[in-house]
Amino acid sequence: MKTSRFYLAVLVVLYLFLLGPFLLIFIASFGSEPIMTFPPKGFSLRWFAKVFTVRMFLDAFITSLWIGLASTLSALVLGIPAAYALVRYSFPSRSLLEVLFASPAVIPGLVLGFSLLRFFVLIGNFPIVLGLYVGHTVILLPYTVRVVSASLRNLDPSIEEAAVSLGAPPVRSFFLVVLPNIRAGVMAAFILAFITSFNNVPISLFLTGPGIAALPIQMLIYMEYYFDPTIAALSSLLIVITVLIVQGAERGLGISQYV
Amino acid sequence: MPPAAVKTTLLLLLPALLAVGAFLLLPLGFILFESVYLEGRGFTLYMYFSYLSDPKFHTIFLRTLKFGLIVTGVSAILCYPASYAISRTDQHRKSLLMSIVILPLMTSPVARTYAWMVILGRFGLINQTLKSAGLIAEPLRLLYTEGAVIVGLLQLFLPLMVLNLVSAMENISPELEEAAQSLGANRWVTFFRVVIPLSADGLVMGSVLVFTGSITAYVTPAILGGTKILTLATLLQQEAVVFMNWGGATVIAVVMTVLTILLYLGVRTLRPRIA
Repeated sequence: MKTSRFYLAVLVVLYLFLLGPFLLIFIASFGSEPIMTFPPKGFSLRWFAKVFTVRMFLDAFITSLWIGLASTLSALVLGIPAAYALVRYSFPSRSLLEVLFASPAVIPGLVLGFSLLRFFVLIGNFPIVLGLYVGHTVILLPYTVRVVSASLRNLDPSIEEAAVSLGAPPVRSFFLVVLPNIRAGVMAAFILAFITSFNNVPISLFLTGPGIAALPIQMLIYMEYYFDPTIAALSSLLIVITVLIVQGAERGLGISQYV
Repeated sequence: MPPAAVKTTLLLLLPALLAVGAFLLLPLGFILFESVYLEGRGFTLYMYFSYLSDPKFHTIFLRTLKFGLIVTGVSAILCYPASYAISRTDQHRKSLLMSIVILPLMTSPVARTYAWMVILGRFGLINQTLKSAGLIAEPLRLLYTEGAVIVGLLQLFLPLMVLNLVSAMENISPELEEAAQSLGANRWVTFFRVVIPLSADGLVMGSVLVFTGSITAYVTPAILGGTKILTLATLLQQEAVVFMNWGGATVIAVVMTVLTILLYLGVRTLRPRIA
């Protein structure tokens, strides 16, 4: 009895520490003072309104949305065939390839962002947006390869063999039999990769220029100059959206097993 | 493997391989080359000697390692009992608890870190509480301190530790614990002699992720440490963006990468022995 009370206490401390700050930021965003205070004085929705009227947040939101969609789709297009080859065929250098495809998640993102800036933008004269797009695509690849591999491993290979033995060409059997059966995994990979891109700071930090900044970078820039609760309001909105997506994805796809 | 299958495998792998090669290995190789090659002097370690001997760098390097060790240690101590409790509840509660644990991992790091400004700021929760209790007259400086950065990093990386520990503990059969207890071990002895050794793999994996994450994190030290409490990551950004010192920034980037890769390689060779 005594030990279970101890475990309960540790759990409460852990969850308070994980969730408490979210609750506070939510309360702080309703304050009416132009400087963020806690507990907030008064009540107002003006900071939420301000989020939608500040031009740079809207532009950054749209940039992040497009970069997120484009790089997530690209990482899926690159990652699904690679995952299929890794799971279905066995060849000598397979474990080396697995390490290689996981490496963008191991290499510090800040280092990758910095080297993309040096190599592609400053020396190769790439446009910054292109640097952002390829950087995000390459860091999302480990997620799509890993999640799709996991769901391919759970798929009974005999289904596909049946399709092939009944005369379906391999490409057709992939699109008509394999892909529909791993769609939960592909969906989970999409959600995980998109969120990862949308929240990414290290890659986007260096790939910022006039008129181009990912949303988290724009928030960091704003915080350097303004101390009002606009960032609290924007953060609250982002947190609520994330909670809804994560809860939905957990219920429908069991996304926590893939993180 | 028949030749046709070899061809198919290659075709399936090629696009991803090209992407990793062109957009990861190539730029990384380029900065590595830049760090050891100087125009007119050829290959030299001059930049490493000159930058790494700077006392400012020493302070920041050691501080970064210290943050990594503290965050890893505290999260292991806090997460061990918590993860054990999570792994031993029923499926329904476990899935709810785990979905809350992963929530911070999915939330914008800027939003997550900003929450600590609400708590630690000049007009934040702690200062306002102490002031209204009459304990302080002037607000304490809690932001831009080492403590602020450590607390922020802890909240950031606790979930990674929990995920690794829970997945290791799920594989420990409860019968093993029952066996230990029927042989006379109490709950504590069982925990230390059965659960901890059998989940060591998860602890090692979690620790490497938390440690490497802490020493390379940017957002938390940038917001909560500012320019007062620099770490390797914020120093890299400062050298590159503020001072345009590309040589110095490149050296830091290589140091961070080598440190991370060495830790991962160390664990890869260590892991089979634990398991």
